Amino acid sequence: MKYLIAEDELDLQQSIVTYLQRDGNICEVASDFGEASEKAAIYDYDVIILDINLVTGSGLDVLKTLKKEKKKAGVIIISANNSLTDKLEGLDLGADDYITKPFHLAELNSRINAVLRRGKYGGDEIMEFNEIRIDTKSRTAYVDGIVIALTRKEYDLLVFFISNKGRVLSKEIIAEHLWGDNSDLLDNFDFIYVHINNLRKKLTPQSAKYIKTAYGSGYKFIED
Amino acid sequence: MEKKATLLKKTSKTFLLTGLVLAFLSSVALYFYTKYLLEDEVKEALYSTELRVESIIKNGATHYDLPPVIVVNEVAVLGRDVLKDTIIYDPSEDEMELFRELSTYKTINGKNYQITVRNMIVESEDFLIAIVVSNSIIFILAFIFLFYFNTTRNLQLWSPFFKNLEQMKRFSLTTKEPLELVDSDVLEFSELKNEISLLTNKVRTDYENLKQFTENVSHEMQTPLAIIQAKIDNLINEQEINDKQFEQVSSIQKDIQRLKQLNKRITTLTKIDNNQFINIENVSLTDLVSEKIEDFKELQFANLVYTSKNELSVSMDVFLADILINNLISNAIKHTKQNEEITIITKDNLLVISNFGEKALAHPENLFLRFYRESDTNQSTGLGLAIVKKICDVYDFKISYKFEETHHIFSIDFSK
Repeated sequence: MKYLIAEDELDLQQSIVTYLQRDGNICEVASDFGEASEKAAIYDYDVIILDINLVTGSGLDVLKTLKKEKKKAGVIIISANNSLTDKLEGLDLGADDYITKPFHLAELNSRINAVLRRGKYGGDEIMEFNEIRIDTKSRTAYVDGIVIALTRKEYDLLVFFISNKGRVLSKEIIAEHLWGDNSDLLDNFDFIYVHINNLRKKLTPQSAKYIKTAYGSGYKFIED
Repeated sequence: MEKKATLLKKTSKTFLLTGLVLAFLSSVALYFYTKYLLEDEVKEALYSTELRVESIIKNGATHYDLPPVIVVNEVAVLGRDVLKDTIIYDPSEDEMELFRELSTYKTINGKNYQITVRNMIVESEDFLIAIVVSNSIIFILAFIFLFYFNTTRNLQLWSPFFKNLEQMKRFSLTTKEPLELVDSDVLEFSELKNEISLLTNKVRTDYENLKQFTENVSHEMQTPLAIIQAKIDNLINEQEINDKQFEQVSSIQKDIQRLKQLNKRITTLTKIDNNQFINIENVSLTDLVSEKIEDFKELQFANLVYTSKNELSVSMDVFLADILINNLISNAIKHTKQNEEITIITKDNLLVISNFGEKALAHPENLFLRFYRESDTNQSTGLGLAIVKKICDVYDFKISYKFEETHHIFSIDFSK
């Protein structure tokens, strides 16, 4: 996949690049408004990650140009501004998703994958990992073609794992993904272990092995 | 606290008091002055009668008597002149009467006489009383008139002051309504009005600046936080780190999460202050609470018991309703152990959330203050309840807290 990361904070820009490159994606960067507008207009990308507050201009204007040029790229807005009006304005202008700083790279990656699925398969929205197949439209998971009954959280967990396959997900990241702000109510993340165990039990013994424990208290979804 | 009286009452009181004292003093002075004048007149009359009697005797009248007014006696020895009051029998009235009496001793034509002349003074006493009474009546009448005039005039005079005072009472930092101050032709009131305008404007701009500052700070913090977060996310995917390092990085992650929450809550507070939540619609709190409970149950908080007696629907911003319910339930969860029950009840215009507590709060009055925490056992931002209070203030909901029978009870009255 080919991504454009339009972000003027170089440290953040580079971190996003590092994270996304692990899957062998091509990442190009734009560090100001001019560069972002230019690259977005000239080249084609699968997904553009667009910071609204670029020092020299607004990411929303880049978005307008993109839509005028009828570019196919999926757009995810990243912004420090979490006001609802900005969110709506961005989505109204044709952005595919909106994520507020600070965010987890795993969360961003998961959203990118969702945008890609919708764009690529034209509404089919299928995710696959070996014998595991997920229809994200009907929120159904299959193993070897057989439906497995997952709770909402177990389903979200599985999608999150597959979106970030090969990467370590700490319990904090998982908790935030599944429960958002309310995850700070938890004194410990022991029950994530419970959710993961339940998920493992519902998968076949073979697919259950994909969920591996990494370090002290992290998980990794990976083939042997 | 000292009991306060209104300005008009107080000035009227002073006016009344000075008036009364003046009326009394003037009546007393008038009494004594008139009395002195009358006595002087009586004395003069007595002396003049005595001279007349003396001259009659000198002219040859051997005996001249007119008891009890004039009594002439021949005496052997001359005595001293005496002027006194005396009570004697008045045969004409057939009763004892008060007389002013002058006794003098004179030697006329070689004989010694004691001449006593008397004047009845009862009538002069009546006269005195009449004077004092009429004086008092005049005083009272003048007084009532003055009092009425004074009060009306005062009311008129002070009216700009009272109007401005009313405006100041209505002054609030959060509403943007300007103060409608009244100018006056009284210099002091005019100055006061100008000072109030200056002061309130200054307070407003300071408050706006502070709010702006808070929002900017929390906004500016988001970028470095995002960078730290992203770097940590990459760090845990490095091959070289070990369990111990992972542990430490995860712990940093928790602190970032706290900062994120803090930031978010400060921004929310500022936004409520800035009136950025203006979409008012009918929100079914009954449904909202049910949804929230489902969410919390997924977080393994199964100790929530919800009873809905009536459908509760409130006109407010959906987003704020969500925060309101979320923060109240979160607060109860934070201070409750896993096996203890949290009860939520909705009924007509009322939401009650209670959870078990071993003892009452030491300072319940501080409960809704920003960054107030009574225990530091959990990592709360100390802003959750401040936000709840703020939301209630925006919509004039009445929130109250009490500790009853080992339960912390929060209730919100939505009726207006």
